[in-house]
Amino acid sequence: MTQTRRHLVAGSGAILAAASLCMPAVLGQAKARVVVVGGGPGGATAAKYIARDGGGAIAVTLVEENETYQSCFHSNLYVGGFKSYEQLLHRYDALTATYGITLARQRAVRIDRDTKAVLLADGTRLPYDRLVLSPGIDLKYDSVPGWSQDAEEAMPHGWKPGRQTQLIRQKLEAVPDGGTIVMIAPPNPYRCPPGPYERASMFAHVLRTTGRTKARVVILDPKDSFSKQGVFMPDWEKRYGSMIEWLAPRVHDGIKSVDPAKGTVVTGFETYENCAFVNVIPAQMAGAIAREAGLAPAGGYCAIDPATMKSTADPAVFVLGDACIAGDMPKSAFSANNQAKVAAMVVCSELAGGPAFPTRYFNTCWSLVAPDDAIKVGGRYEPRDGRIAATETFISQPGESDEVRRQTQAENMAWYDAISADIFT
Amino acid sequence: MFWWGRAEAAGNEVLGRHLSAECTACHQLSGKSVTGIPPIVGWPEDQFTAVLASYGRKERGGQVMQAIAAKLSHGDMTALAAYFGALSPKP
Ligand SMILES: Cc1cc2nc3c(=O)[nH]c(=O)nc-3n(C[C@H](O)[C@H](O)[C@H](O)COP(=O)(O)OP(=O)(O)OC[C@H]3O[C@@H](n4cnc5c(N)ncnc54)[C@H](O)[C@@H]3O)c2cc1C
Repeated sequence: MTQTRRHLVAGSGAILAAASLCMPAVLGQAKARVVVVGGGPGGATAAKYIARDGGGAIAVTLVEENETYQSCFHSNLYVGGFKSYEQLLHRYDALTATYGITLARQRAVRIDRDTKAVLLADGTRLPYDRLVLSPGIDLKYDSVPGWSQDAEEAMPHGWKPGRQTQLIRQKLEAVPDGGTIVMIAPPNPYRCPPGPYERASMFAHVLRTTGRTKARVVILDPKDSFSKQGVFMPDWEKRYGSMIEWLAPRVHDGIKSVDPAKGTVVTGFETYENCAFVNVIPAQMAGAIAREAGLAPAGGYCAIDPATMKSTADPAVFVLGDACIAGDMPKSAFSANNQAKVAAMVVCSELAGGPAFPTRYFNTCWSLVAPDDAIKVGGRYEPRDGRIAATETFISQPGESDEVRRQTQAENMAWYDAISADIFT
Repeated sequence: MFWWGRAEAAGNEVLGRHLSAECTACHQLSGKSVTGIPPIVGWPEDQFTAVLASYGRKERGGQVMQAIAAKLSHGDMTALAAYFGALSPKP
């Protein structure tokens, strides 16, 4: 009885809000305008949920330069031979057809925050009442001495999708037995914290199953530790023996330089010559459109208000996903999709009188270590003391049964299909 | 009384719809059956609520669902049960 009564009272705020859900802020006014830049997990999800929940009061334009989205998430499964490249491709047709979102297939070149407009490459000017930015990352090409944008063919990063991802697989295929792959891992904070280590696992899996058992994978890390290290490392040993070698800065004494023409990597301690393949994953920062709008410090990411995902520099602008500083939440597709739903709720509440509920966040990152052997890490998060803080976390344990790992990989595969549907349909 | 009942149902639907967004990152709204993550649409409401509650008490195993359910009130769970229960699977 008490339960019901309390529920009734607690529910009443939502009831009032529900009644006004379908009304524009001012009756008779033209629709409120929302522009979303970036059609990835952050931007496409935000566009969909704002259009869906705006009660017809909000016109949503999604600005995306590519016709097809190519997901970095699960691109390591492509490298490992568990997915085709086509399985990473997503189109925007369902979003435009189902939710009435206008797609602007253009690059956004500038944001004029004073007059509240986005300028596109073709000269179009899109005025907005609220702007959502989810442009992903840009690479810091000067963060590894000797490496540059010109060197990204010879020493690919594979941290942005398309040709780069495919180059990683091609170079892996060409590694001779006995050859050495050197991966230079990125410094924090970067897109997909467990990603480099999942990729190293896929390298070892492909080498082993193609009989190249004398090849090795050396990870030179600028960090003293990495995501899920306590699970990855015993698993590597179990699955791949000594094939994967992870070296902390105190062991390699710093990455001094690379020579893309010769395939050389010089550390303070050792020189790796004639590497079969060098995978340079450089330092990262928020995508240009967000940085150039003055929403991030030089070379950095955008600060946000943890309760709303609004930029701390501009209350009319939301920054989602890899481009923002999300406290304890990692830069993942899961996080970007999750943050987008918070932003969508706030936008619909402000522009269409939609309901406002307490903000909370969730994330899980799965990583494939070997066939039928995946691990995961995740948690629940809330705004606390001005940042997004973890309130409960979980992680796979070393030595879990084969059955648990098989189940975790089944989850991973099902998650990809579900989140893709949630973002793009 | 009648009005309250209807209004509560409307509030409940708004709440269920809001909370469902957390579920659809992993569970397909179409109810499509896939291995790895069970479909959750079209379940009897009391069963849906009971399963969530047992995750919340950490009786039922599963790290992700335990962490999710820990933060859901009983009202949240019944709102979700009603929301997903009203959908039918599109296989
Ligand atoms: C190897 C690898 C493995 C990963 N594995 C996982 C995983 O298993 N699980 C997981 O959750 N995450 C994973 N991730 C991370 C995930 O890919 C990112 O966190 C996610 O893509 C971030 O989404 P976003 O919306 O912030 O940016 P993005 O996905 O980068 O999307 C940004 C979009 O904006 C567009 N854009 C940018 N600037 C402009 C502009 N000026 N004008 C028009 N369009 C623009 C781009 O074309 C792009 O489509 C992985 C990443 C990598 C590299």
